[in-house]
Amino acid sequence: MALVLYNYDLDENCYKVRLALSMLTIEHEIVAVNAFPGKEQETPPFLAMNPMGTLPILKDGDLTLFGAEAILAYLSRSQDGSGRWLPADGAGFALSMQWLLFAAGDLSVATRARANALFGTPGDEAALRAGARRAIGAMEDAMTVNGFAGQDWFAGPAPTIADVALFPAFVLSRDFGVDHDEYPALRKWARRFRALPGFLTMPGIPDYH
Amino acid sequence: MSLAPGWHPVALSGSIDPGTSAGTHLAGREYVVWRDNSGLAHVWEDRCPHRGMKLSFGFVRGDHIACLYHGWQYDTAGRCRYIPAHPDLEVPATITVPVFATVEACGMIWTTTDADPDRAAPPPGDGETVPVASLHAACGTEGLLDAVRAMPAAPFVAGTAGWELSQVGGTLWRLTVGGDTLLLGVQRLGDQRSALHVAIEGSAAIYAGAGQAHWHAWIRALRHRLGAGPAVGARPAAAMAEAV
Ligand code: FES
Repeated sequence: MALVLYNYDLDENCYKVRLALSMLTIEHEIVAVNAFPGKEQETPPFLAMNPMGTLPILKDGDLTLFGAEAILAYLSRSQDGSGRWLPADGAGFALSMQWLLFAAGDLSVATRARANALFGTPGDEAALRAGARRAIGAMEDAMTVNGFAGQDWFAGPAPTIADVALFPAFVLSRDFGVDHDEYPALRKWARRFRALPGFLTMPGIPDYH
Repeated sequence: MSLAPGWHPVALSGSIDPGTSAGTHLAGREYVVWRDNSGLAHVWEDRCPHRGMKLSFGFVRGDHIACLYHGWQYDTAGRCRYIPAHPDLEVPATITVPVFATVEACGMIWTTTDADPDRAAPPPGDGETVPVASLHAACGTEGLLDAVRAMPAAPFVAGTAGWELSQVGGTLWRLTVGGDTLLLGVQRLGDQRSALHVAIEGSAAIYAGAGQAHWHAWIRALRHRLGAGPAVGARPAAAMAEAV
């Protein structure tokens, strides 16, 4: 039975998984969830799969997973024969984990800043924006230093699921008033990312072609 | 707020890849810096004549820059050449974007809004440079330079002891530390907003990699100092140097 992704197109965490499914060329089914305005993910059938009532959710046979980063880890370990999307060596694995956790943790303020800006969800706009700016600034520093060492990606010489998890917050940052002008290293990284086979956009990300 | 005459740095050369663009400010006004596919840099007003959207959000196609919103395309002289909604239209020559003189020197892209006749010579320097990074700060250019003066650094290449910051001219400064020489381009983004573009004057053979990382650490310390507020700023420079 194919993998099933419970998805909402405008959710950047769902987008992370759609990106990985496409870039790793994994066959899957998509179930559209009426997240807005229906809040379907907060109804009992969905809470049974993810008690926190968030998307995405992935089902693979008997296995049910929630949280985009855990799903990315599962997809790369179970479906990526090359092993390069989640490296096995100590440093490569740990750096991937570091940035995956960063994406789910420190950088999640960007998701809240965007929801606040676009949908008026509650939050202190200035504080959210400052938090997002700080996290994106940390990414800029990391990629600047990586660039000095000739390293094009966050966790090593090749793209990993860490890059997938970090991409949406940066590329969508204009939605919450953080433009890309002051982040040259991230602009170059995002451009490289967009050129990867299987890349796809989500609503809000201009398709240049 | 008016822009001082002369040349102003708007980006490190290496920060704008061929076929890409970025927005910036000079004295509160918006500019787009972009590089066509042949590698030539351009600085224009960041405003599409159609509906006033930012051209820096757009994308480069060959030697045209296209507005993101409705796809109007402009050639390197700033003249509109193509309007997708009217593909057969011979676009009137009056639809243009103001373009500004642009040169590359000292590892940076420079522009001026001065009219041709009274334009000064662009910044000197065609020696080899190695880019470090650009620092953006919420203060005026004087505050930025004060922070540089108060922020001693260790050299990457040892040399005669000493530390000297001197103005090469206009917005270009030179910082000499031990065996290192840095070029500092000071950009006035707005009244309380400025940028410092930092490049090493030297060869990639010596500075690429570890030398860049060394000076990037200094920029981060400088940024920390600028962001830390007056309490930290009031501390003697020597104490700061130790803390770093
Ligand atoms: S605003 Fe630029 S094409 Fe319409």
